Amino acid sequence: MSGYMFYPGCSLEGTARDFLLSTKAVAKAMGMELPEIPDWICCGSTPAHQSDPLLALALSAQNLAAAEGRTVAVCCAACYSRLKVANHEIASDPAVRQQVAKAIGRDYDGKTPVLHLLEILARDVGVKEIASRVKRPLRGLKVACYYGCLLSRPPEVTNFDDAENPTLMDQVVRAAGAEALDWPHKTECCGASYSITDVSIVLSLTRNLLAMAKAAGADCIATACPLCQLNLDLRQKDIEQKYGENYGLPVFYFTQLLGLALGLSAGELGLRSLVVDPEPLLAARGLTSDETVTHEVLR
Amino acid sequence: MTATTSSINPLTAAGIPAAVLQALAAAGLTAACLQCRKCTNGCPVAARADFPPHQIARMVQLGQVEELLSSRVIWECTSCQTCATRCPRKVDIATLNDALRRLSRQMGKVEGETTVPVFNDIFLRTICRHGRMYEMGLMGSFKLRTRRFLADLGKFPMMLWKGKLVLVPPMVRGYWERRRLFRFTRGAGGEVR
Repeated sequence: MSGYMFYPGCSLEGTARDFLLSTKAVAKAMGMELPEIPDWICCGSTPAHQSDPLLALALSAQNLAAAEGRTVAVCCAACYSRLKVANHEIASDPAVRQQVAKAIGRDYDGKTPVLHLLEILARDVGVKEIASRVKRPLRGLKVACYYGCLLSRPPEVTNFDDAENPTLMDQVVRAAGAEALDWPHKTECCGASYSITDVSIVLSLTRNLLAMAKAAGADCIATACPLCQLNLDLRQKDIEQKYGENYGLPVFYFTQLLGLALGLSAGELGLRSLVVDPEPLLAARGLTSDETVTHEVLR
Repeated sequence: MTATTSSINPLTAAGIPAAVLQALAAAGLTAACLQCRKCTNGCPVAARADFPPHQIARMVQLGQVEELLSSRVIWECTSCQTCATRCPRKVDIATLNDALRRLSRQMGKVEGETTVPVFNDIFLRTICRHGRMYEMGLMGSFKLRTRRFLADLGKFPMMLWKGKLVLVPPMVRGYWERRRLFRFTRGAGGEVR
């Protein structure tokens, strides 16, 4: 399983370092190579498209052109959305393509395929293959799979999955042996970067997510976006204090849960970086110690 | 996102400057909106907004753009694109809001409380300089510019301990090419730096 060029995105080198660690560890365990796009730069995220459409397209196009036609693998939902939008706009409008070419100093046709790691795992690798590599099934773990707003929107551009009820993460989580819960807030917005500029938006939106996950009976939440994870995890205590509620829900990257199932250690998956401590939950489900794997293997 | 419906524009007679019309047309806003409110029903910030999304569409149709340019909602929209995704007439309010934000800045109408434009400028300056986001630098500059020195200060030690903060700024090759890219696009579009 190779041929991908990896676009980590800025968050994975900073606040979401555990997403990067766990992605690399899972890829290695699955026999997948993920070489980075050389000298990749920021996609511009929301500030670029809010400020200047051409700048937003050019930043994404420079990265896509540097992949030299190989399929680009992305972890961050925001990067994924920006790269997909750039492809869509450049491929569908020759005038836009020409402007972008002037900005980045080379012609780019908008045709380099972009896939989220969930698409690669659920479709290219396949759930059967994943299940066959599971060494420590996450039995009894009830997971609310949270996709966030940007993976599936707009659907005609990202072409990710069902826009209102995506299931790719559910499939991966089930292949890892856990229970993926049916819950209604899979694609609601967490407030994203307003975490810095207007935290009141994030606190109220993220609270809705935590409350719904809890009501659905979740033990934990799985995410596919660095901003979603940060808001749900880092802001959870603030939300509990502000609203006088108690959630105590660990918020994993889906790669961390899959990595646990593949028998990788807490250290390899960066579990220590999680703010809401997942240890009590994992211990209660018999998923903590690395000896568990050894036992199963020995048996 | 490009306009997917016909570009009949009801604003021409309303005395809106040509540049404004152009930007709004580019955002895909046309006469298509039926006021069904699917956008507002799904919008995560509609409850707190001074103008919910269906009203934004209506106000643009009626030529009441000035009020929107100084509104709070254009700086509270999370760009989640629920509105555009669910609209049965393909009116792209999320992209329309991007256009309104730019116009609001160009015409000096930015609502007083918001810090989003400051954040956006620092963000873009950072990636022009370093190639990638430098979170510590971004936070430092943002605190200086907005004088919010205490916000989330308590989180820093924990984030450092959890390995979530990188102290050394990234430096991707190609600074002069990046600078050219920024100059070129900003010259063609917005006016900030």
